[in-house]
Amino acid sequence: MTRSRRALAGAAVLAAVLVTAGCGSADPAPADAGPAVTLDERLHAALPEDVREAGVLTVANDPSYPPASSFGPDGRTIVGFEPDLGAALGELLGVEVEFRASSFDTLLDDLAAERFDLVMSAVTDTAEREQQADFVNYFRAGSSIVVPRGNPFGIHDLAGLCGRSVAVEAGTVQVGLLERAQAACARRIDVREVPTNDDALLELRTGRADAVLADYPPAVFVTTDPRTQNSYQLVSDTQYEPGLYGIAVDRDRTELRDVLTEALQRLVDDGVYQELLDRWEVGHGAVDAVTVNGALPPTD
Amino acid sequence: MSRSTVSRAVGTRLFAAYAAASLVPVVVLGGVLAAGIRQDAVDRALEYGSAQAAVVEEMAIAPALRGQDLAMGLTEAERERLQMATDLAVFRGSILRLRLRDFSGAVVFADDGASGPAEALPHYPAGEGVVPATGTAFTTAVDGGSSVALLDDDDGLAVGRMIRVLQPIVADSSGRSVGVLELLLPYDTVAAEVEAATARTYWRLGAGLGALYLVLGAISWSTTRRLRRQAAQAAHDALHDPLTGLANRELFARRVAAGLERGTPGAVVLVDLDRFKEVNDTLGHHAGDHLLREVGRRLDATVRAGDTVARLGGDEFGLLLPGVDDPADARELVQRVSDALAVETVVDGVPLAVEASCGIAMHPADAADVETLMTCADAAMYQGKRGATGVVVYDRRATAPSPHSPALQHDVRRALQDGDLRLHYQPQVDLASGRTTGVEALLRWQHPQRGLVGPGEFLPALEQSGVMGALTEWVLTQALADCAAWTAAGEDWTVSVNVSVRNLEQPGFADTVARLAAAAGVLPSRLHLEVTETALPADLAAASACLAELAAHGFGAALDDVGVGFASLSHLRSLALTEVKVDRVFVTGAAAHAEDAAVVRSLVELAHGLGLSVCAEGVETAEVADWLRSVGCDRAQGWYFSRPHPWPDLVRAPAPEPALTSVEVPS
Repeated sequence: MTRSRRALAGAAVLAAVLVTAGCGSADPAPADAGPAVTLDERLHAALPEDVREAGVLTVANDPSYPPASSFGPDGRTIVGFEPDLGAALGELLGVEVEFRASSFDTLLDDLAAERFDLVMSAVTDTAEREQQADFVNYFRAGSSIVVPRGNPFGIHDLAGLCGRSVAVEAGTVQVGLLERAQAACARRIDVREVPTNDDALLELRTGRADAVLADYPPAVFVTTDPRTQNSYQLVSDTQYEPGLYGIAVDRDRTELRDVLTEALQRLVDDGVYQELLDRWEVGHGAVDAVTVNGALPPTD
Repeated sequence: MSRSTVSRAVGTRLFAAYAAASLVPVVVLGGVLAAGIRQDAVDRALEYGSAQAAVVEEMAIAPALRGQDLAMGLTEAERERLQMATDLAVFRGSILRLRLRDFSGAVVFADDGASGPAEALPHYPAGEGVVPATGTAFTTAVDGGSSVALLDDDDGLAVGRMIRVLQPIVADSSGRSVGVLELLLPYDTVAAEVEAATARTYWRLGAGLGALYLVLGAISWSTTRRLRRQAAQAAHDALHDPLTGLANRELFARRVAAGLERGTPGAVVLVDLDRFKEVNDTLGHHAGDHLLREVGRRLDATVRAGDTVARLGGDEFGLLLPGVDDPADARELVQRVSDALAVETVVDGVPLAVEASCGIAMHPADAADVETLMTCADAAMYQGKRGATGVVVYDRRATAPSPHSPALQHDVRRALQDGDLRLHYQPQVDLASGRTTGVEALLRWQHPQRGLVGPGEFLPALEQSGVMGALTEWVLTQALADCAAWTAAGEDWTVSVNVSVRNLEQPGFADTVARLAAAAGVLPSRLHLEVTETALPADLAAASACLAELAAHGFGAALDDVGVGFASLSHLRSLALTEVKVDRVFVTGAAAHAEDAAVVRSLVELAHGLGLSVCAEGVETAEVADWLRSVGCDRAQGWYFSRPHPWPDLVRAPAPEPALTSVEVPS
């Protein structure tokens, strides 16, 4: 009987192996904790009274510009280094910073109409825009050219865009950049202005445009992200007409502008700023000091 | 018969255990694989539903919307575009239900037009009701995930099985989510295909596992069958004699024991072949084996159907005759067996007549246990070997202890150890001078129960046993020691010791005797070795050489019991002897019967003619002593002169009769 008992034990082991082989294992995702920022009462007290009362700063943003800002996995939350910087500022100032999706083209108009407190949406600080709002500069970036993978039209610089159709997001500095580039072209550049940067990339993906002009960070993002890198290619690492991104504040709200400037400088000094940029792999665009209305003159 | 049944039952049980044990993993494997296949089929269906919903959302729903959160409501244009995009699919049944819901769960658009907050919607008895906004399925879609479920018949559906998908509506390329799409897709069309595929896989799996089980079963079956056969063969071999195929001693003993246990009467017969050793020695072992097989066949053919024939070892066979309760019947049956054996057999061209001694013991009359019963049969058989008739029924009074009785051998060994053995000496008188010239050593056993036992009662029985050598050595040592003692006391008697032919055949026996004599300090001429004539074998080479060697050492040698045995005249001539001893059967009647007198007279003349002296045994009267002296006999021994005594008593023994003294021949 010993023999049969041993056989039964063997069968049980086999069965156990078969059962466990069917089971998978789930890895817990590591928690994503941001750098610690503590409330500064003095800065909080320096905020305009209406802001302190509301306890919230609303920020207009066009979430089609990863890694600066874009919709997260749920399709509704805005994520990126801009929301992260905004959140850090909010913690320092003791108010909630709320990002709201809006169309890029109308951002500054909406600000003027006081629909939002601020605009933080990769808006390049230009002399022209300074007519509409004050800018607290927080990032440095220029424009880059994105083409279909394989670069079928052999575009290598701005001159290569002549005679091509180029998609850009309406209202961006790239529109002005292309206008200035037209001067050097024998055949005009067919500029297609679309509502968002994603729409511009869609034009390129569907062949309706031959190139996209966008800021360097989002251009790098789409050409390296696993989901899109098979479709797009960066022409070069050249950044045309580098400028400073700025948080747009109504020109009448200098109090708010100065508090923001001081708070942002504090984040730069604490290293929180650099850490957040590095997390989104855009540390190369960090500024050393926070300036106000630091528009650079056009190179051309 | 019952043994093979038992082994078959054990084999069957073992096979059943193997079969059951291998069935377990096969069934478990089948269960696990079948469950996996079923789950795979369901997963495939769900993936199909999910993929279809994604296509519907991207190609029909999102393009129809303007990219605003659904909570803000639909424009008329949007509603129209949605209807245009989905009507055909709904009409054809590719879509069972389609709902667009905002993040609060309110239905903004539905294929059947039923929109509004969830609680305001109509009841769907078929089961395609709106998914609760608080459920996991809905919240997963709100959080950007996709939730797929298979609604089965168990869920009380009237429209057949469905795949229900909830997923976010991503309105534009920015990845912005504006609401939740709830889609019910028909499953039955997919299900038919999936189930057909599943069924095919089940059949293949079942056939494969069945074949696997059959192979395992076949292996188990052949293994257990081989084991069973080996076990049966081993059991048979353990209980049967390989040469003859008969039962062996072990099986025989078991059957006898079984018979005893049942309490039914029966007979146990031991059959021992006479002079089988000669066949082996002269014709070779091959012929011996042939003869044993023939004997086995004849025994088997002669006994009754229910009897057992066994080969107990060597040339010894056993018969178990159950149901025989009359010794006369047993004797008659065994006599038939004996007669059958006596029919001439031709082995290697040599005709042989097998003679056998048969000892019969009855149970329960003679003994109640196997060992005693066998001993009784052995004793009877041994008696038959010595007597005229070959078939002997055990008789407690008539039968001497069996030589093969372990008890007797054991007793003798113990007697040797405990010093229960004695030597008595009978004087041998020189007839001419009337003086004692020597003594014959006679073995006595001071038996704790039976008193003083003479050698005739146990010595022949030990002739073939292993104890014989030790016994002989003890006798020689003791006799030599006593001889040395009386020499020291001034007596010049020789001592005669009886030895068996077996002793003479042992290599180095002469040297042993010489060593013992030297150790005792006795002159070789003082020791005479008496060899019994009846024990002389046909082939004398070894014994003859030994006697010659003894003579060379200077020992005397006498041939015992001359006249009644088988010794030929050539023995007298060729053996290195110094004396012959005339058997008592002639001596006792020599004075009265002319025939005996003639024999004795002739023997004396013959011995003298060969240069040997003559000693007469069994002299009981003065008349005989006188007559022996008158015919020239040299020496004599017998009660007339002296009975045997232990050595120290020998000197105090009564002097020879005055009559003898009176006829003493003056020197």
